[in-house]
Amino acid sequence: MEYQSKLETVLRGIALLLVVVFFMFPIFWIFLMSLQTNETILRVPPSINFEPTLSNYRALITGKLETSAASLEINFLRNLWNSVFLSVASVALALLLGVPAAYAFARHKFKGSEDIAFTLLSFRFAPPLLVLLPLSLYFQKMGLADTYLGLIWVYQLICLPLILWIVRGYFEDISPDIEYAYRVAGHSWFSTFRKIALPLAGPGIAAAGLLAFIFAWNNFIFALVLASADKQPVTVGALAFITASGIQYGQIAAAIVMSIAPTLALALYAQKYLVEGLSLGAVKG
Amino acid sequence: MSDVHLDIQQVDKIYGSGDAAVHAVKGLSMAVRKGEITSLLGSSGCGKTSTLRMIAGFESVSKGIIKLAGRELNNLAPVKRNVAMAFEGYSLYPPLTINDNIAFALKASKLNTKEIASKVSEVAEMLEITDILGRYPSSVSGGQQQRASLGRALVRDADLHLLDEPMGQLEPQLRALLRGRIKHYIKENGLTAILVTHDQAEANALSDRIAVMEGGYLQQFESPQKLKDHPANLFTGTFVGEPPMNVFEASVERDSNSVRFELDNDVCLTYDAADFSTNVIQAALSLKHVVIGVRPYAIKRTSNGIKASVVANHWLGDQSHIAATLAGQSVILVEHDRAPDKSGDEIYIKLDPDNIHLFDRESGAAISHGAELAQ
Amino acid sequence: MSTLELRGVTKRYKKETVVDNVSLTVADGETLVLFGPSGAGKTVLLRLIAGVVDPEEGHIFIDDEDMEGVEAEHRGVGMAFQNFALFPHMNAFDNIASPLTVGKRSRDEVKAGVEQVAKLLKIDHVLHHTPRELSNGQKQRTSLARALAGSPPLLLLDDPLRNVDAKLRFEMRLELPLLLEAQGATVIYVTQDYKEAMALGQRIAVLSEGKIEQIGTTEQIYLSPKTLDIARLFGDPVINLYDVKGKQDTDGVFVELSQQRLSLDDSKAQCIDKDAVLGIRPESIKFVPENTAGSIPVVIEAETPLNEKIVTLALTEGGREMLISRPSGTAGPTAGKAFVTIDQSALLIFDKATGNNFVESTKSDTDREVAA
Repeated sequence: MEYQSKLETVLRGIALLLVVVFFMFPIFWIFLMSLQTNETILRVPPSINFEPTLSNYRALITGKLETSAASLEINFLRNLWNSVFLSVASVALALLLGVPAAYAFARHKFKGSEDIAFTLLSFRFAPPLLVLLPLSLYFQKMGLADTYLGLIWVYQLICLPLILWIVRGYFEDISPDIEYAYRVAGHSWFSTFRKIALPLAGPGIAAAGLLAFIFAWNNFIFALVLASADKQPVTVGALAFITASGIQYGQIAAAIVMSIAPTLALALYAQKYLVEGLSLGAVKG
Repeated sequence: MSDVHLDIQQVDKIYGSGDAAVHAVKGLSMAVRKGEITSLLGSSGCGKTSTLRMIAGFESVSKGIIKLAGRELNNLAPVKRNVAMAFEGYSLYPPLTINDNIAFALKASKLNTKEIASKVSEVAEMLEITDILGRYPSSVSGGQQQRASLGRALVRDADLHLLDEPMGQLEPQLRALLRGRIKHYIKENGLTAILVTHDQAEANALSDRIAVMEGGYLQQFESPQKLKDHPANLFTGTFVGEPPMNVFEASVERDSNSVRFELDNDVCLTYDAADFSTNVIQAALSLKHVVIGVRPYAIKRTSNGIKASVVANHWLGDQSHIAATLAGQSVILVEHDRAPDKSGDEIYIKLDPDNIHLFDRESGAAISHGAELAQ
Repeated sequence: MSTLELRGVTKRYKKETVVDNVSLTVADGETLVLFGPSGAGKTVLLRLIAGVVDPEEGHIFIDDEDMEGVEAEHRGVGMAFQNFALFPHMNAFDNIASPLTVGKRSRDEVKAGVEQVAKLLKIDHVLHHTPRELSNGQKQRTSLARALAGSPPLLLLDDPLRNVDAKLRFEMRLELPLLLEAQGATVIYVTQDYKEAMALGQRIAVLSEGKIEQIGTTEQIYLSPKTLDIARLFGDPVINLYDVKGKQDTDGVFVELSQQRLSLDDSKAQCIDKDAVLGIRPESIKFVPENTAGSIPVVIEAETPLNEKIVTLALTEGGREMLISRPSGTAGPTAGKAFVTIDQSALLIFDKATGNNFVESTKSDTDREVAA
């Protein structure tokens, strides 16, 4: 019967604590680092005994990076804006293309539909480096290199498969009878899609969108190769802190804190949807 | 009683605690004899499943005692209770064939391979699953899985057999035959069985006694016949029987030598005062408002009866179900010969005092049952 | 009101033919029941008529108009689903209103239309509830109301009472024909409950493995089923079936059961010298108090009462099972040895090889020709 001894409760608590520490410690440490100067960070042995400073954050916001050798211009806020714009635009485009496609794959089994759907998913398996070299050559030729449009296009490799497969599972979960009922009541297929399928798959679409946003935000390699400094997102922007006179750990840490804050907040807020959406995708996909 | 086999004494089941507590079973006392087939009958949420789970040991008993074959079950682990169970969701072991599923519990017993094989083939034949014994549960239909699960429970030699909705998914063509065979098998082998079901037809067909439950309370625990003829209250009366009992609300008046029941639409049933005992008349008059119940088969036609107009007449091969309007509401007749009536026809019917039930309109408790109904 | 005609309609999924060359006609205002066991193709056939699924072959005519290429929303049918298929994100009112919101109806007209049909189905008090808040019975009525709203001339009802409890099903079985009659619509009603089929249908089409086995009135189907399978599908308890051999002597055609001669009328002469299956309805077997001429001795196995009947399972001397049904309240033996007689006018006899009734029901045959 559902009875638990005291020892069990204690052990369970300890196990949970260990897991939390294991995953949360790096984030906690980064946060501490962001409040220190390079000198205190590099102390041996490390200590949590220090005088907190906001100088790292100040440097990022003002865009002036002071190193022991020289003063360096960095544009971290620009990077942050690039991240927001690229991620939002990519997810929006992926939703626009992916949701109708997911609906088509869920409802209409046409010849080769499974193959097409799987090919789209396989983009997620391919190592990005594999496609990057030819892609950068094409982009140079087409004038897409170092443009937002080009980046958003490439980001579809990340967002589209994710949205397609998660949302498809949601659409498949809706009983076709519900849609038939609306059709028979005299409504066109498009209004059935809009008034029945879309609202009912709403939570799934939101979850897929959130997840795609997080993946897009975290992307590093595409922007590194295909974009120059003024189009780069935060993930790539952080490289600027590796300077000739050394690695600016304090600023890197502050940059990381600032760049993970939005996704972390979003993930915490939408945790429930994310888990639901993902597990459904896993079952259905 | 000395031959009490399963003894449930003042049992309560409470889930959760504080404000969120759900009182699922309230003061249930029941004594089941050895060799008896008993049904726990009720709609969902009535407490029957909680009762079953307490007997099987999947839920703790909040209050009271359950005894089986002289042993107290309350603190006994499910495996030690010697109870066989057929689950509503079948719960067959997926990696085993139907044959091995049925034989599973027998392998732990002292029977040798030959005896096990003969026992399995006996129940398989009874349940018509001989041809699928070699197959796996996932490759057979729901009805076949249900029969296999039933077979797995029945083949065991246990103190008690618990059958949870055992026939819900059975193919309708097999149902009548299997009901007969299973009842015969249980009796022949002297098993004690408890059936949990929401289907009153199934409970009626198989049981020696039926425990009707509603709202966590045991409403009545009687033989099917007695339950039909002497329902303890309006709930039992209308829950058991298909087509359901006809009911009319009425107010009672008494003249010098007649009793009158005033129905809606100025319809009045007048009976000779001698048709009812004085106690019944007294009780009815003191309540003023009563509910009259009449079973569909007990309504007879008579040329000088009350007029009712036919709304529908459905012939079902061996019965006719006639629906008519009486006092602004529908009344149903069951006749075993094919009735000629068409919609719109007028018929004259009689509600014989020997066949009617009277209930208190407020509490639903039965006041009296007609003299012709089994004593 | 509408007429409906199906000509050679066939539907395949991958290699499996789920609807096989079905032809039938339904007259204006008629209620036709499509009856068959699960997997017979009833629901697919209904979807084909509704236009949400397209046939591979054949044509569907509504009011003599070929429906090929006509989308579901333009066929003017109302449909109720077995699982109710209510829109979970809309309340009962909006669910019922969905057929009314197309076209140019004003808001007041829609409201009036919903309220009228809701009142008819006695759900006017729960219109603001979402499907989740409705009881099973209310869901079922909402789904029916949605199908009826907008008064479609052709109604397709897919086993609408399947998922409601026995009591409600019984009530609706009485209520529904009246409701449908008042609507005046042509109705196709799908069910796998034979009682529902017999109560609701003016005609019944028995579907098995995608094919129509028999179309006929209630009497034709019950009293002269075309095949053994149909005989098994109608009636509870199920019909008793025995392997016999058709014989003939100077007194006429007969078969033997438990050494008793059961004579058959001359219309069944085709069974002579053939392996046959004898069908005896449980209600045409009666207990007799003692061993009289022509009675068969049996041993009672179990008695199982069933809805105003008492069903007895007995074994004949040859060990063959026999189901016997008698009205509740009539006396009969409950255990041990007993004797029964069989009403010989109600016997059915089928060809063991093909399962076909030796006596072709002439009336249902002409029906078939009309339909073909």
